[in-house]
Amino acid sequence: MGGGGSDVKNAVWMRAVLMAGMILGLAVVSYAGLGVVAANAKHDTWESEEAEYDIAKKKYSAAVENGTITSGDENESLFVAYGNAYNDKTDAHLSYLTYRVAGLAILFVGIIFAAFLSISGIMNSSRADEEHDEHHGHDEHEHHGSASPIIFSFGCLLFLLGFPDFADGLHGLMMGSTKGTIGDMSISMIGLTVVTVGVANWWREDLPFNGYGEQLATSDPFAGQHIRKAGIWVFLMSEVMVFATFFSSYLRMRTEWCTKWALDDGKCSLESGESVVLTASDYLRPSGAKLDKFGESVGDFWTMLPGAVNTFALIISSYTIVLALKVAKSHDYKVPSGPLGKLMPTKKAAIRNYLIITLALGTMFIVLKLVEWSHLIAEGFTIGTEQGSIFYVATGAHGVHVFAGLLVMLYMIFKADTVEWNEDNAQGIEYFGLYWHFVDLAWVVIFPAFYLY
Amino acid sequence: MGEHKLIMGKDIYFWNFIVLMIFTFFEVGAVFFEEWFTLTTIWGILIIVGIVKGFGIGAYFMHLWDDPRIYLRVALFPTVFVLLMLWGIGLSNPEGVTGLPAWCTPNWDSLVTER
Repeated sequence: MGGGGSDVKNAVWMRAVLMAGMILGLAVVSYAGLGVVAANAKHDTWESEEAEYDIAKKKYSAAVENGTITSGDENESLFVAYGNAYNDKTDAHLSYLTYRVAGLAILFVGIIFAAFLSISGIMNSSRADEEHDEHHGHDEHEHHGSASPIIFSFGCLLFLLGFPDFADGLHGLMMGSTKGTIGDMSISMIGLTVVTVGVANWWREDLPFNGYGEQLATSDPFAGQHIRKAGIWVFLMSEVMVFATFFSSYLRMRTEWCTKWALDDGKCSLESGESVVLTASDYLRPSGAKLDKFGESVGDFWTMLPGAVNTFALIISSYTIVLALKVAKSHDYKVPSGPLGKLMPTKKAAIRNYLIITLALGTMFIVLKLVEWSHLIAEGFTIGTEQGSIFYVATGAHGVHVFAGLLVMLYMIFKADTVEWNEDNAQGIEYFGLYWHFVDLAWVVIFPAFYLY
Repeated sequence: MGEHKLIMGKDIYFWNFIVLMIFTFFEVGAVFFEEWFTLTTIWGILIIVGIVKGFGIGAYFMHLWDDPRIYLRVALFPTVFVLLMLWGIGLSNPEGVTGLPAWCTPNWDSLVTER
């Protein structure tokens, strides 16, 4: 951190607690609406569709046994009814999963957002006002070391140590399976708590920093450049290597698989009894190779929709963060005409609200991704296969990056109300924006490679 | 910064956003036309769309077009490793021994030990 600090009073930190309450309230209401009321209604529909399916199946099987109709004759009304009942049952199941998982995902994300805000708010507002002055702000060029990243990293270590059990526990909670219980999530939850405390301390140290007095690098190759900007670029390039590893692993594995695509192209052949290797795109793409029991492709417009919406959501969120930076750097903010003017009445409100829109789009990305995963798992595309493993690890790692970005964004929204941003001190938004654009850029590669190819 | 360059009254960020949205429509739409195009053609479309979108995000949203060249050099640095990875994928592929052109393989014959 550089200098240029200002005093942050307890009342400001209490706003974080207020924000936490609002987010938690919104998450609980969304969960009640989507995950309980709507999901229960969809569950009833699913059960009745299951009953209809059983009846249609019995009628069809009886007719085949009696010799009234030929097995698999597509012109027979009983076969058509059987097929339609199967489709209705499958659709009803996926529809139930959509609402249930969306509700739970919003609740889960909301609880984590609220935990970060409330722990930071309570920890920092409980300190005497004088203590906030103790370390900050009178030298334009002072520099502080911070122990927060070490605390944060230790929390990440604990979280990852307990992650396999955490995943089982989460699966048990979300899908109602007996594979794991909430107790399995304990080590990871302790890790998350340590992460939260580390982040809260980090926020306390950063909030008084209003962006003036950015430190400059003094030696080549970055001489004269902001140290933090050079740092974020080097960090992003290390992230490129992480995603390049996933991507090259996938490509290497893919060259070994006899997929429908490779088969049609004459690049491989199947022995009798073998079947093509099914990738995620075979479950999602219209005319994908995954067929249901009636020989129809399970992929269609609706299975592609969450991934497609997410692609647009990330592009739009990249633009909204650019708009937040543009407004922050503007000398003379002009209130937009029409309804947008009511949403952005002042420069401060405009920056904050553009960031809130970005947060909402990012949250939607996470929710839709989990919904899509639940559909894939329900249709049999699990992490237990090579194709599933690389798909869930790569897209999951991207999702974790989006989620980490959302937590930082939460802080930026909070900070937007305490700092007067202008052309000389808006670097915080710019540097965070670089990270967010990188996440978008990674999706530009992941989406076609894993969803469409 | 891009907000100072106006095209038809709108800054470069706005037009970049529009181009990205249009190309995303192409990207998502391509897979719905499998009956008209071969899968290889669709893959070609996806690569072109990816390059255009990558350029738009990197050059304008991440300011690499206007920023000092050192940032562009940093951004391109991992490309060397990515190319090495792609080369490794090619060489370790069973078809790599016979399927790759001579200029991108080691001299396989010189590696054969006669007993």
